[in-house]
Amino acid sequence: MTAAASAAAFIFIRICRVNYRNRFKSFIKKPQNVILVSLAFILIYLTVIPMVTILLDTFTVHQSELMRVKGSKIGDFTLYHWTKVLFSSASRKIFYEPFLNTLIVSFGTCLIAILLGGLVAWLVTRTNLKYKGIISTLFIFPYIMPSWTLAMFWYNFFKNSHVGGAPGIFTAITGIETANWIAYGPVPIIIVLGLHYAPFAYILIGGILRNMDANLEEAAQLLKASRAKIMRKITIPIVMPAMLSTFLLVFSSAMSAFAVPAFLGTPVRYQVLTTQMFRTLNGLNPGYGYIMALLMILIGVLILGINQRIIGKRKSFTTITGKSSNIALINLRAFRLPVSITLLVSIILICIVPLITFAIESFIMEPGNYSFSNFTTLFWVGSGSPEIANGEPGILRNISILRGLWNSVKLSVIVAFIAGSVGILSGYAIVKKKNTKLSALVNNLAFFPYLMPSMAFGAIYLSMFAVRRGFIPPLYGTFALLVLVGSVKYLPFASRASVGAMHQLSNEIEEAGTIQGIGWWKRMLRIIIPIQKSSFISGYLLPFISCMRELSLFILLVTPSSRILTTMLFQYNEKGWSQYANAINLLIVFFVVISNYVVNKVTGASIDKGIGGN
Amino acid sequence: MPQIRLNNITKRFGKAIAVDDLTIEIGDGEFVTLLGPSGCGKTTTLRMIAGLETPTDGDIYIDDVCVFSAEKGIDISPDKRNVGFLFQNYALWPHMTVYKNVAFGLENMKWEKPRIKERVFELLTMLRIEEYSERYPSELSGGQQQRVAIARTLSTGPKILFMDEPLSNLDAKLRMEMRTELKRLHLETGSTFVYVTHDQLEAMTLSTKICLLKEGLLQQYEPPLDIYHYPANYFVADFVGSPNINILEMEGEQVNLDEIKLTNNQLSLLYTPNSSSITIPKGKKLYLGIRPEDIEISNEGTIEAAIYSTLPSGMETIVKLDIDGLIVTCVVFGGVDFKIGNKVKIAFNAKNYVLFDRESERNIASGTLS
Repeated sequence: MTAAASAAAFIFIRICRVNYRNRFKSFIKKPQNVILVSLAFILIYLTVIPMVTILLDTFTVHQSELMRVKGSKIGDFTLYHWTKVLFSSASRKIFYEPFLNTLIVSFGTCLIAILLGGLVAWLVTRTNLKYKGIISTLFIFPYIMPSWTLAMFWYNFFKNSHVGGAPGIFTAITGIETANWIAYGPVPIIIVLGLHYAPFAYILIGGILRNMDANLEEAAQLLKASRAKIMRKITIPIVMPAMLSTFLLVFSSAMSAFAVPAFLGTPVRYQVLTTQMFRTLNGLNPGYGYIMALLMILIGVLILGINQRIIGKRKSFTTITGKSSNIALINLRAFRLPVSITLLVSIILICIVPLITFAIESFIMEPGNYSFSNFTTLFWVGSGSPEIANGEPGILRNISILRGLWNSVKLSVIVAFIAGSVGILSGYAIVKKKNTKLSALVNNLAFFPYLMPSMAFGAIYLSMFAVRRGFIPPLYGTFALLVLVGSVKYLPFASRASVGAMHQLSNEIEEAGTIQGIGWWKRMLRIIIPIQKSSFISGYLLPFISCMRELSLFILLVTPSSRILTTMLFQYNEKGWSQYANAINLLIVFFVVISNYVVNKVTGASIDKGIGGN
Repeated sequence: MPQIRLNNITKRFGKAIAVDDLTIEIGDGEFVTLLGPSGCGKTTTLRMIAGLETPTDGDIYIDDVCVFSAEKGIDISPDKRNVGFLFQNYALWPHMTVYKNVAFGLENMKWEKPRIKERVFELLTMLRIEEYSERYPSELSGGQQQRVAIARTLSTGPKILFMDEPLSNLDAKLRMEMRTELKRLHLETGSTFVYVTHDQLEAMTLSTKICLLKEGLLQQYEPPLDIYHYPANYFVADFVGSPNINILEMEGEQVNLDEIKLTNNQLSLLYTPNSSSITIPKGKKLYLGIRPEDIEISNEGTIEAAIYSTLPSGMETIVKLDIDGLIVTCVVFGGVDFKIGNKVKIAFNAKNYVLFDRESERNIASGTLS
């Protein structure tokens, strides 16, 4: 090589380097790039790596299996766990039966939630139903309340003495002993979960119906299509993609539900994957539990894939927004009043009556006896007597319960703050860099925790962060672990709300600030956040509420020092001290409903914005 | 025999009045435009005739059949009124192909499959979109979507066609093209067209009659050129015509039996009404309306003005003139250009200058200036 050529090559390389360095410099100068890169790293560390670790763990021999896997040492590769769970004589009991039950429960839940939520959404958006305001407010309630509220209500109401314990209110009033199938097992689980997720379907489907151009239906009517035909050929096909994605979201939520099947299934040993996982993770062989967790995540990812496939289809459903405001509402005529009243009454039955029964139950001395002399305030303000519940004082005087309440509030506030703030940043950066690979990656990573069943997520964090991991010290039993797991788990809510809000904001609004030389922080705090305030606050509200009522995510992680209200409720219930459990539940419901109400009134934020309604 | 008749139609949304006591007749085969600024109730009126909206008061007759009457409690549903409706946003069904969109109405009428196919392709060919029959609406351009919407509306051969700002989502060039096609379509189908727009040029060029609305109230209902030359009031004069009519504030005085002296700070003109039945008391406050094309720049003119600005477009030049601080607009045909600041002479030689009462804003006369 001649000197000239090598000099040329040298200069060329220099230019490339300078070029790369300059490109890198200008890349990291933009805040959205910094946010995306750091989020990509953090989220991979907090979601993907734990999963891979767990996956590897299921192929490893542990102390407890040394005897059963012949000729192995700790740390060897083995298929023992997988074959045991999937292909052994015990796998029917361990895995397949709970798996089948999970499928039954999830499908049933979807059916009820979508039929009910869709019907109410249609009535509210498209007909001249009465009491729309109060119906749409109250109908959200079952979703705001902890899911087990309705489960406990059902349990209190229909429980029988076949399984042991005092009979419920229904038997007390009518004297009829309820059958097992109505008191426990799949039927009540499906009904209760269906009612719990119906508002979710209502918000999603209602949002679509509200955005759907009414002209599409009017055009069909002018071409002489009957009401039924318009419904069949126009309305349903157009909302179908939204219905399907609602179906998938409800399905994955129902699949990961723990509290409801635990309350209503355990008395008759009806196991679903989550309850089974709880048993195995608490028991001898966590390996089984991890495998179940992985399989559930796999189903979740499949669901996400199907969902995206559906949305990205050729018959693009871009709604060219028309004058949908002058929708002509369908006149229900003679049915108007009966339908309105029936709906209102049943919603009140679902939302208000359970709370009243909790109140009553918590004032009853001897469960099952509803005579007036049996009423007591012992479980609320009593100082505790040795012959009842080991002398636990009433919940308002009980130091450990008040500490639990404090922990719950502290945890929810911190989690909401972290998830909400990170959510805003991620939404900002994702939209800013939309159509890039990095943005799509972070978008999916930020949504990924939604698909991880809470219990599985908790289990993974338990095993992952029990020991020192990189710069993170061992967190087992600490409050910080709860904060970490909560923040990651609820990030999807906040990032969804934020992505939605940022999409509505035109880029010029920020650019107008940039041109005037306003710094990034100031642009965020003074321009972007104030404009979409209510959406962003929804991104804080939803994690807060979810965290306040969360049980399955934290149940494996709490220790006596970091106990929170929901896990205490679960423990009291397991011990059979239902009055305490009822009182605590009432406390949680009040706290959640009131904070939702206050935030809603003060800031205009609401949980439906977070979920994706309008 | 009138095909559509609206009697005292009123529509209230809560307390707001969208349409106020509207009475019009639309004859067979006419092309009537409902014109007005946004929010004047024109779309609401159209939707009420089609049956998509329920009037608060009044009656509607189509072909002498009462389709709505608040008093008698009649409200025939849209599908039984035998009308077609073209929506502003086209409202094409996104989940159906072009073919399915157009065939839908015919299927509802229980036509045989081969007949449907024949009719659909006849329409698609007429609108020059036959090659897109298997595409979905999202895969078409705005103009193509527009044509599909027209084909769908025409498919069932309605005798009355309603159109709600159908061209407003198209670009300028396409809009011109579609205007021509709509007018041709009107002749070919022989149907009655009722058309909503806020674009006065569209209304002028397309319709046989314009119904001008303002805040729910009917202003004038006449053929376009009558509206242009004899505007019923100040609002109509100002709304119709581009560039805008010049409105000069004047004071009037009857000088002879049939002549009126009009004065302001800059001008003093003698006005002769075409019909001599008005008397103007001294000092009466008036508006004088002068269309831009009725100001002539010529050496024979008597009034001096300076060129204030000029906008030559090739075919014509819009010139703003400064008459001692009073700015007026005039149009000169042909590619003339003027130098700003130059002095010119102007004359008022047209036959039709309009006079409005400044108080009531009503048209009181049209006449000549000297």
